[in-house]
Amino acid sequence: MPLQDHMQLISVDDHVIEPKTLWTDRLPKKYHEAGPHIIEKDMSHSGGDEGLSKALIAASRNGKEGEEPQAPRLAEVWSYEGRIYPNIGLNAVAGKKPQEYGMEPTRYSDMLPGCYDIKARIADMDIDGVQAAMCFPSFPRFSGTAFLEHEDPELALLCVQAWNDFILDEWSAYAPGRIIPMIMLPLWDPQAAAKEIYRCAAKGARAITFPENTVSLGLPSFYTDHWDPVFRAAEETQMPLCMHFGSSGKPPITSPEAPMAVMIALFGTNSMDATADLLFSPVFYKFPKLKVALSEGGIGWMPYLLERIDLTWERHRWYQNVNKEVRPSDLFREHMYGCYIDDFEGIARREQIGVDNILWECDYPHSDSNWPNSREYAAKLLVDVPDDEAQKIVELNARKLFNFPRL
Amino acid sequence: MAEKDIDAPDWVDQDLLTREEAAERLDEEIVLVRERLARLEADRSAPDAGSAIEMVRRRLAAMEQVRSTLLEPAAH
Repeated sequence: MPLQDHMQLISVDDHVIEPKTLWTDRLPKKYHEAGPHIIEKDMSHSGGDEGLSKALIAASRNGKEGEEPQAPRLAEVWSYEGRIYPNIGLNAVAGKKPQEYGMEPTRYSDMLPGCYDIKARIADMDIDGVQAAMCFPSFPRFSGTAFLEHEDPELALLCVQAWNDFILDEWSAYAPGRIIPMIMLPLWDPQAAAKEIYRCAAKGARAITFPENTVSLGLPSFYTDHWDPVFRAAEETQMPLCMHFGSSGKPPITSPEAPMAVMIALFGTNSMDATADLLFSPVFYKFPKLKVALSEGGIGWMPYLLERIDLTWERHRWYQNVNKEVRPSDLFREHMYGCYIDDFEGIARREQIGVDNILWECDYPHSDSNWPNSREYAAKLLVDVPDDEAQKIVELNARKLFNFPRL
Repeated sequence: MAEKDIDAPDWVDQDLLTREEAAERLDEEIVLVRERLARLEADRSAPDAGSAIEMVRRRLAAMEQVRSTLLEPAAH
């Protein structure tokens, strides 16, 4: 039985739904109207102004054009500088057929309270057999890119700081040892971002959410020196950059007619892109202690891509501006981590990835998580893995990477 | 090809566990855990049977507690 009771599950990819008053509790009063706050809005015919959730809602309604909603109701949505960002819920009610499911903007009262309430969250983690979790943002998107869309940069910086203070002072502080404190950055200003890293490190932050690709966000790439202040600060404070798939804002859509299943099946390719970019860029040579985790990117593809990247490097490095001395797969094992929920292929080929480079994740409170059975699912996946390797994957690798020892 | 595509063709990484979905999952799990507890209590021959039973009991109680809160109107 590789997954034993004494081994603690650490999920490196969960999510927090921001409580309604997160920003109004922290922003100066003059910003309460423009800053993020919850309003009630009839979303029967709208998907809001946020790209991905708008697309999801549209897909969910596809084929229902002309039909009046059975019971139009007010959703609770975020308003930030007048733009609308909905929280969305899977309308999978007991007794309904899957064909009748939908996806709609929702209200807090529809959500499992553990989405936004830390006391309920800890109870849900206990049921799920999860000891500790790291939580990505929701309304601001996985790496805080909603604040890139700002009209007022001063407000945007205050919004980022408010989210970080909420995580550090309230969400993580409620239950020491249960939440790995993650922060977001003011991505429009690398100097301000570095300053925020140092500020939050002093308050106990352990990880930074960062886009898997910055170019698609209209920002300079990893190949430039634009991000050096951020990478230097992350390295100096020993905080890994956690690149969640989809955080580039560029979903892998192959054709306008493709069902959304194609995009979802291919999401891991975003993490493949990030891996190739980082291994062929100067980043890890300039910052030899920097670490990157590819959140929710899966791991089964890693042996193939590392082999491919090494072959490319063997044959083609001589005439390109890439490092000539260090094999990319060696660089990978020194700097990068794969994260999985369900990935039999990756676990079976863990030696080719590096047992020390694999992290487990849960994805609570999204409906594709295995809650309340995460521990059982994790155990099934690890059934043929030696005990010591299983403990590294579910617990010890995360404790080491995020400097998060058992209390 | 399915007779009819599900309207939300697959679930991406953004949709949340609703109270209803969570309640349904808990109901299923509570049934399974009660059965597991009954089996453990019926056969206490394993050396660590007592602690195993205690752990399952605690988890069952915690699940029943959360399930009961999902019946209440939400505070938010």
